[in-house]
Parts: sequence; structure tokens; C-alpha cells
Amino acid sequence: MITVKNLSHHFEMGKKGQKTILPVLHDINFSVEAGEVVAIIGRSGSGKSTLLNLISGFIRPVSGQIIINHTEVSTFTEAQFADFRLDQLGFIFQNFQLIPSMTAYQNVELPLILKGMPEKDRQALTKQTLARVGLGQFHNHYPSELSGGQQQRVSIARALVLNPPLILADEPTGSLDSETEASLLDFIKQLNQELGITFLIITHDKEVAKIGNRTIELQDGKLIEGGQLS
Amino acid sequence: MTFKDKIKFVRQNMKKNRMRIFMTVLATAMASAFLIVLASVGFGLHDTLLKDIMEQDTINEISIYGYENEAEYREINDQDISYFETLDNVRSVTRRNYLAQAIHYQINGFELSNEYSESQFVHFPSEQKAGMTLAEGDYPSKANEVVVGYHFVDQLLPTGLDPEEVYDEQGNRNAGTLFTEDIIGQTLSFEIEKYDEDDNVETKAFEVVVVGVTEEPSREWAVDTTIYMSELFQQEIEAFTEARNGNPYAFEVTDQEAERTYEIVKIYTHSLQQVEDLTTHLSEENYYAYSVANEIRQINMLFSIAKAGLIFIGTIAVLIASIGIFNTMTMAVTERAPDIGIMKAIGANPKTIKQIFLLESTYIGMIGALIGTAISYLISFAVNLGIPLILEAVFDDQLPEGLKFSSIPWSLVAIAITICLVVTIISGSRPAKKATQIDVLKAMRRDI
Repeated sequence: MITVKNLSHHFEMGKKGQKTILPVLHDINFSVEAGEVVAIIGRSGSGKSTLLNLISGFIRPVSGQIIINHTEVSTFTEAQFADFRLDQLGFIFQNFQLIPSMTAYQNVELPLILKGMPEKDRQALTKQTLARVGLGQFHNHYPSELSGGQQQRVSIARALVLNPPLILADEPTGSLDSETEASLLDFIKQLNQELGITFLIITHDKEVAKIGNRTIELQDGKLIEGGQLS
Repeated sequence: MTFKDKIKFVRQNMKKNRMRIFMTVLATAMASAFLIVLASVGFGLHDTLLKDIMEQDTINEISIYGYENEAEYREINDQDISYFETLDNVRSVTRRNYLAQAIHYQINGFELSNEYSESQFVHFPSEQKAGMTLAEGDYPSKANEVVVGYHFVDQLLPTGLDPEEVYDEQGNRNAGTLFTEDIIGQTLSFEIEKYDEDDNVETKAFEVVVVGVTEEPSREWAVDTTIYMSELFQQEIEAFTEARNGNPYAFEVTDQEAERTYEIVKIYTHSLQQVEDLTTHLSEENYYAYSVANEIRQINMLFSIAKAGLIFIGTIAVLIASIGIFNTMTMAVTERAPDIGIMKAIGANPKTIKQIFLLESTYIGMIGALIGTAISYLISFAVNLGIPLILEAVFDDQLPEGLKFSSIPWSLVAIAITICLVVTIISGSRPAKKATQIDVLKAMRRDI
């Protein structure tokens, strides 16, 4: 599902003419098979979020290759990556990243609107997805009217609604209490088993990482565990 | 994303800051109304002037004043008339001459001096073809039969009456000064004079019978007191005076003047376009040809320049309003940066984001232009109703009927809406581009 080859990245810091290079990732190689739940762990500043942002296309790698679902995405233009994200990727963010002026229903419906789906089809799919995450009664609630766990479920529903083969989760339990965290992890496991969706989860929490079939560990931008290429 | 969804999305976004959007739309509406009302004055006066010209009977008419080439200048003669009649699209060629004497007409105890009327020799068949119509009676069938103008009777006064006794203090005709009998069938008596070289005068009495009265002229202010005589009667008068058109000084007439020429020659066509083409053709043939088409062309050119100038000034107001749109859209992009970041993160194409913001600025421009158009129609109506009343009250004078100060044709509305849309799209394009350049990570961290 995902193949990362010789991936390196750095950030340029400072003003023009006085720039310093801050290396973040060094020669990363790993792959994730379809249907796997893989956790990427590491301490703060280890480069795990940068790795996820590179895979998501939010930033471009300095060197190396990223291949998702047999498509090399590291050379994509911004517009190409946007279309690819809509078709192939789902996202779960630490801070849920729901649009506050939209109801739960509208937030989940948004990817379908972007996809250009007719309203009638959207209605059925949105309701079905919200029901799947246990929020069938919360259609008209705004994010501010929902608990953290419920917001994260809306976020999951939004990630699921277009039925992507891969979901990228960045600290998905970071803003949740332990009870809600356990429930959410169970739900991710259930989705993986029932729908065969591949999950790539970024976390600093080794307990959360246990949800994965496999763990990849980063330290100071280098891969120290789970870096085999299939 | 479908167009319908984009519109829905834009409307949802606009509801988030109603007051700001309202003020921006209001500014655009005012600018658009200013543009339309300003230009409508040009359109209104242009329409009034054209309508005034079109209402004249002369719209399909070409006046021919003579012929001039490098060798000579001459008046229009029978050969020219025959030539005109062979031209394409010519409906009729009328030719008239003035009776070359001051005539004093007597009619059943009333009189009319040449001071108040003119006598013309006309070719009635061509006049009929050209559109001369009678209010009553028939066209002359005999030499001594004439047609009189619609206002001819009003100018008749009792014989020997002091002109100061005609009107009372209120300006109305005194009783008994009006000719109340039916003019048809009345006999007009008058004398024609002839002088010799020693200034001895010989006179001959003539009588003609009124058989018809022309239609009232289409223009309210026009007065027709003419006595239209036939060419047969012209020959009778010329037989006495021995000179063309009853000229009393036959001994002074040169050979050239002895030739039959016409003082008033008019060519009638079927349409204004034919008038234009024929006028051009005749001018190229060295005839002095003048038609309303020339006047209309000049008026159109003048008003086109004036209208363009007014629209340009109005556009400045729209440009000023566009600063408001730019500001509103820039603030909207800044405020919605986190939402844009989320949308981009889940797969919104930059092109879609740009289209949404461009659509929003266009929507503001369109609503502003439509409201502005509605306001313009109200202002235009009020101006056309109010200004004549004010001017009449201030200057104590009656304004011409049908005078329009402001007119808003669809073309002006289309021009104003197009200008508004173009300006708003331009002013919204930079914020829209900025929206596409929003960094997803910064936006989601609320760093923008």
C-alpha cells in the first residue's frame, strides 16, 4: 500500500541569505502492506509528523520516493495530490480539524461535495457513515456541541465516507481521555478488520502503538525499527 | 464539486458575516446605480432627440437643393426629376415651386394676406405617392382647384378688420372673427400682377375653388397655411405673366431662368436605411442632398461619445466600490484560512478553492448590480416625473411633450452589469489566488 524509498527531508530556517538547514529525516525506507495497521512511534522531534506530512503531500520531500497504492506521489503537483487525497486517503487529526461553522452532517458530507456527488446519493452515504460511527442522532450538532470523542468520530466518519483504502492518523487519541481513547482504538481495529482499510498511525504513546500489527520507530530522523522493504 | 454546490457553499459562507457583506453589496449597488443613472441621462436625451426627429414626416425624405459639378451650379430640372424616378428604392419624387408674388386672397367676406400663408405649385400625383393625405375633401381634378393647409382657415380674418381687434384680453379670438363656414367648395379670389420695363402694372383676377384640406401636421407646433395649386393652374398664371412661377418681372428673366426648374425637390424612400444609401449615392453624383439620416448619424456619433464619457465616469464609482469588495474578500480569506486548510487537507483542489472565492466576489457584484439596477429604475422614474415639474415651476414654461431626462435601455443595464461583474471578478481574483496558496499545515495550526 505504501512504499517509502530513500526519503530524506530538511527544513530551511532563518531569513534569506542567512538560512540554516535543519535535517529532519535521513534516508527512510519502509513499506506498509494493504490491510495492515502500522504505528509510527518516536519522541517529540523524531520526525514522525514530518514523515506523515510528506506521505500526505502537505510538504514535498527533498529527496526520495513515496509510492502509495502503486502510484508515485512524490512528483505530484499540488492539484494532482489534492485529487489523489480525495480519492485514496482519509485523515484523522489530533485536533479533529472539523469546520466549526458546519454541523456534523455537513462536515462528513464535505468530501462527497468535493467529489461532485449528487445530493441524493450524498444524503444516504452521509447518514449511513454517521450511523456507523454511532452518531446517527447528532446530524445537526456543531462541533462545539459535541464531546472530544464524538468530534473524533465525526472526523473518522469524514475520513471513511469516500471509502478510501488508506487512512492516515496523526495522534488520533492525543486529545482524548483514556476511556474514549480505548473505545476509539477498538473502533479503528474494527474498521480495519471489517473493511480492510489500511491505517498508518502516528503516535508517541507506546500503548496506542500496540493497536498496530507492526511498529516503525523513528529517532532523530532515522528509522531504528521496522524499516524493512517488502 | 458541482456549480450548484459551489453556489450553496458561497451562500453559506456569506451568511457568516452578514453586515460586512450587506455593506459591500450596498456600496456596489450605489456605484452601479450611479453608473446607470448618470449614463441614463445621455440615453434619455438621445432618445428624446431621435424620437423628435422620427416623429417628423421627413424621416424617409431626402431634400435635393441643386446640382453642382466643377463647371456649373444649377437648380433641379425635369431631367433630374426623371433621373431620380428611375433610381432604386425611390417611392416618389415631389417638386414644388413658390408662386413668385405676394397674394392677397379674398373669400366670402374674409381675407388672407400672403404674410400669413404661402402659395405653392405642386405635382399632386407625386405628393399623393409621397404620403400627402387630406383631412377632408379631394385632390384637385381641374386647373382652378386647390388644396389648403390644415390651419389655413384659422388665418382668415374678416375683410378690413383692424388686427388689434382679433383677440380679446385673454388672448382668445373675438366672436365673429372666425371663418365658421365649411371651407370646401369656397372660392378664393386674388389678383396676379405683371410689370413692364417702365414699371407699369397690369393685373388679372383669378379664382380658385378649395376642394381639399391637408391633414394636421404631426408636430404640434407646426402650422400649415399653404395654398397648394396644381401645375395646370401654374401654366395659366405663367401664360399671363409670361414668366415661370408667376414672376411679375418677365422682362428681367434670363434664358437660363426660363427653363423649368424646381425650388423644393424631395425624394421619398421606403426606409431610413434606403435614405442613407440614396443620400450617399446622390452626393457622389454631385447633387446637394440632405436627409435626416445625416442628422441622425451626427447625433448618434455625438451621443455615443457623450454616453461613453458618462459610462466611464460611472465606472470610476464602480472601481471605488471594488476596493470594498477586495477588502471584504481579503478578510474572508483570512478568516476562513483554517477552513480552507481543512478542505485542502481532505482533498479540495486549489482550482475549486479559487472558484469558490471568485464566485463569492462575483455573487456580491451581481447582487449589487441587480439592486443598483432596480434603484436606477426608481431614480429614473422619479427624475422623469419630478424634474419637468420643478423646471416648469421654476421657469414658468411648458417643456416639450415627451421630453425624457433619463432612459434606461436593456443595453445600458447589460453594460453596467458587465462592468460590475468584470470589476468585481478582478477585485476578487487576488484574494481568491491567496486562498489557493494557503499552507495546509499553517492553516490547521491556526498560524494564519
